[in-house]
Amino acid sequence: MKFQIKRLLSQILIFFSANLGALGLKTGFCYPFFYCNSCPAATSACPLRAIEQSVYKNSLNWRLLLYPILILGFFGVTSGRAICGWGCPIGLLQRGTGKIARKLKKYPSIEKLGQHQIEPYLRYIKYFLLIGVVILTSYLIGFMFTDICPIGVLTGTIPTLILYPGKFVPGYYFLAAIVIFVLFLILIFTIERGWCRYFCPIGAILAPFNKISILHISLAPKEKIDKECLHCNACSNACPMGIDVCNMNRDPECILCGKCINICPKNLIKYER
Amino acid sequence: MKKILTIQISALIIVSGSLGGMLIFTDVYEDVHSGIVSVLCLSCLKLEPITKIDFTFETAYGDPHPMFVLENLTHGVIFLHYSEDACLGCDIMYPIIQDLFNITFGKEDMVNEIVNLKGSDIAFFYTNINHASDKMKKSFPIYDKDHISGLPMFAIITLGYDNGIIRPYYTTLYGTLGLDNDKDRSIYLTELIQESIDIYNQNKEGYSPN
Repeated sequence: MKFQIKRLLSQILIFFSANLGALGLKTGFCYPFFYCNSCPAATSACPLRAIEQSVYKNSLNWRLLLYPILILGFFGVTSGRAICGWGCPIGLLQRGTGKIARKLKKYPSIEKLGQHQIEPYLRYIKYFLLIGVVILTSYLIGFMFTDICPIGVLTGTIPTLILYPGKFVPGYYFLAAIVIFVLFLILIFTIERGWCRYFCPIGAILAPFNKISILHISLAPKEKIDKECLHCNACSNACPMGIDVCNMNRDPECILCGKCINICPKNLIKYER
Repeated sequence: MKKILTIQISALIIVSGSLGGMLIFTDVYEDVHSGIVSVLCLSCLKLEPITKIDFTFETAYGDPHPMFVLENLTHGVIFLHYSEDACLGCDIMYPIIQDLFNITFGKEDMVNEIVNLKGSDIAFFYTNINHASDKMKKSFPIYDKDHISGLPMFAIITLGYDNGIIRPYYTTLYGTLGLDNDKDRSIYLTELIQESIDIYNQNKEGYSPN
């Protein structure tokens, strides 16, 4: 329990750090998580915005393309997707909505949503979004994911409208973005960490790093599992990403939140370097 | 075990070495700071500022007008066009401005030309924030009248009478001007520039850049 409070504190601290622009701190870094530079208090750039700008309409700016990937790569190599579980403000939001999503699971139709047989394949959507809508459409026709991004609506558009009432009117893709934002809300209230599981393009960049990250979650040796595991499935039930923890090996979906570690009655799961 | 450790160390050295090298030897940090973080793409915000055409003598943050503006005001009205590489609003406005002034230029160019609109000379400056010189980048916040810090942005600078002194008098427009089609945008800009030229002609005799 104490451990999860530490994680909550880390998320809150990073949320405030991401918003130090309110005090005038504007840097030239990219966030290593999903946050919008159009947020009035943003300190850094959205990595997706940098990637889109680097390839916009048949251009190719190698430096701007590599820069956010290297920043994400640094966090990825050291700690895999831990930044999703310990730092991302959208992860913090979904930590709150996840509790509601869990309660809604008692309704069979909602429970089925997250357990349908095609569910594992839906997790590939985020890779298609990254390659298709962030890179390819930006490069080929100039249509950018950030123009319709629901996180942009949440952290940029809505705060701007609240802070400066009467100063702005809807822009070109406003309606489309609002529709997607409403779908995003429905998603995160019905499926725990639904955005991270299926749609987050930044998660798609970080996910492969789980395979080689220095910090990762590992299970006890097979002999010990065979001998001591109660097969209570508490670890998988606790996992916000819906991973089959007992059978995982450096799963790309793991956000290193540590809930499985906390809940295992036999202490068979641990962080490892 | 040894294999994964080798991969981890190699990946960490490559990633941190490349990132460190980029930060030390390239301008990427400054490019992201000035081109993404400090200046917003209004299309990303999915909003546009409400267009207000009120002219003012006061610069956005009280800074003095840049020298190139003061000098060019001796010849006529000045039109400043600020844009960036990846921005839907910039892409919409870019051809409208080219048609309006009958001028052709590349999106990444820096343009400083005297153009003609209905018989009057206008000093036209096109600035792509992602490729501009420091001088032009610094002029952007000076004319950010409504403190929007968003692109595209247009400033029309003329001369006005202020308590016995003829001074630069300007207005700033943002985004796609709050209008739905190119024709309306073009008419709107033409009328506003014409009004600026009329004000300029009334006041030019008393102006001195110093």
